[in-house]
Amino acid sequence: MARLSGLQRDVLTLYRRCLRACRTKPTETRANFERFTRKEFGKNMALDKKDFGTIEFLLRKGTRQLEIYEQAGVRNIAG
Amino acid sequence: MFRAAILRAARTASQSAVRAQRPAFQRITQTPFLQSRISTPATSISAIRCYASSSGLGQDEVTGRIMDLLKNFDKVQDQSKLSASSHFTNDLGLDSLDTVEVVMAIEEEFSIEIPDKEADAIHSVSQAVDYIMAQPDAH
Amino acid sequence: MALRLATRRLALAQQAPKVFRRGMATPTASDTLAHTKGEPLSTISEATSASRAPIPPSKTTTIKEPETDPQAKIKTFHIYRWNPDEPTSKPKMQSYTLDLNKTGPMMLDALIRIKNEVDPTLTFRRSCREGICGSCAMNIDGVNTLACLCRIPTETAKESRIYPLPHTYVVKDLVPDLTQFYKQYKSIKPYLQRDTPPPDGRENRQSKADRRKLDGLYECILCACCSTSCPSYWWNSEEYLGPAVLLQSYRWIADSRDEKTAARKDALNNSMSLYRCHTILNCSRTCPKGLNPALAIAEIKKSMAFSS
Repeated sequence: MARLSGLQRDVLTLYRRCLRACRTKPTETRANFERFTRKEFGKNMALDKKDFGTIEFLLRKGTRQLEIYEQAGVRNIAG
Repeated sequence: MFRAAILRAARTASQSAVRAQRPAFQRITQTPFLQSRISTPATSISAIRCYASSSGLGQDEVTGRIMDLLKNFDKVQDQSKLSASSHFTNDLGLDSLDTVEVVMAIEEEFSIEIPDKEADAIHSVSQAVDYIMAQPDAH
Repeated sequence: MALRLATRRLALAQQAPKVFRRGMATPTASDTLAHTKGEPLSTISEATSASRAPIPPSKTTTIKEPETDPQAKIKTFHIYRWNPDEPTSKPKMQSYTLDLNKTGPMMLDALIRIKNEVDPTLTFRRSCREGICGSCAMNIDGVNTLACLCRIPTETAKESRIYPLPHTYVVKDLVPDLTQFYKQYKSIKPYLQRDTPPPDGRENRQSKADRRKLDGLYECILCACCSTSCPSYWWNSEEYLGPAVLLQSYRWIADSRDEKTAARKDALNNSMSLYRCHTILNCSRTCPKGLNPALAIAEIKKSMAFSS
């Protein structure tokens, strides 16, 4: 595999953090959280890897979303 | 309390039965009573943890468990290319996000946590096996 | 087109010294950057204002005042636009023209009129429209200020440029992300800390002289105009607290009723939190409430120097 750029590694780190957060969710709804994570990342799969401004924005947005959804009070997720 | 423990044991046992095809011999020989003592609720979904028999995993067993895991992973496009030396991207057609998922699944399978830096370096079945073999607390 | 550009350059050449007199210090690097791009001088702030440089107004369309009458005083506003729902699209400068006769006197009136009558997608924060809530802080003609306290310059030949607060992440259009700013405010514990109950069991009393020490501090509305005008804060916003938060910190250090003064000073006693202030004084110059954050920072530095 080609060497990943720092930004690409940041994306993978966020993805990993999201999946780790999914593990803390109730067993019944965990699959929903995982599906949601995959869908959110999948939406921007076609993004040009040189479009740094957009990727940085999406990383910030994703981190913000993760901070909200990983709270213990969030027990299920739709979509 | 005892009843809860029994129920938990039954649940973990049934789950491990569902995730069959795994050559986890030593697990089958466990008595339910012992399982109930050692399985913690938080990790009961992933695997039955068995500290008593964890000393030393065989290379074949590790490879087999990782291959089973990949067999059940729906993103793997060409099952025929799956072998002990498969490369996640080149052979199995996984992208980098799928690779992250595979490595995370391996984490759960062996009840360990792989730090980001090392996780980023795992790109093939053999690399994963080597990494697991080097981990003393992998189950 | 060329003629329009030329007249704009001329107008800008005349106003340039004024921009420098009123405006924030602008790093020379972006100055040269703006010139190499062939953009006029006043687009300097385009390079520094938000996280990404927008498409200049010369390359975007102008949305015009719906009806015009012969006595109309038409003024052009260039407004920074960016929509997060299209993350791959670049920020752009959208131009609008308004008849000043039909518009209120303040910049906020212009923005509200554009939103109501011309372009409902324009997004900005506003609430009190009288300079007490701090919501409508933005960069207008190169100066961080509250849109509700900023008069629209009546000369129609001059075009106004409105950007979000500089060096903030943009949520949408003119709305900045102030999460970091609020986190820093929280970090200084902006509340009365006391271990001993008040002597009379009811109120924490204070002499008139002690109360007077809080004048010029308590009026701050935390609009973030000063912090986002500070170059030192631009480059070190992760660690340097910035003028607004330091002013608030001093407000609690100076409060005679607070008993954690030593702990408060101790928390600031490192190279980043306080001492990244290099007395650039943009904060005091830009404050829309006429406060003096630089003085408060100097007072903290002085009290630290004398107490330790």
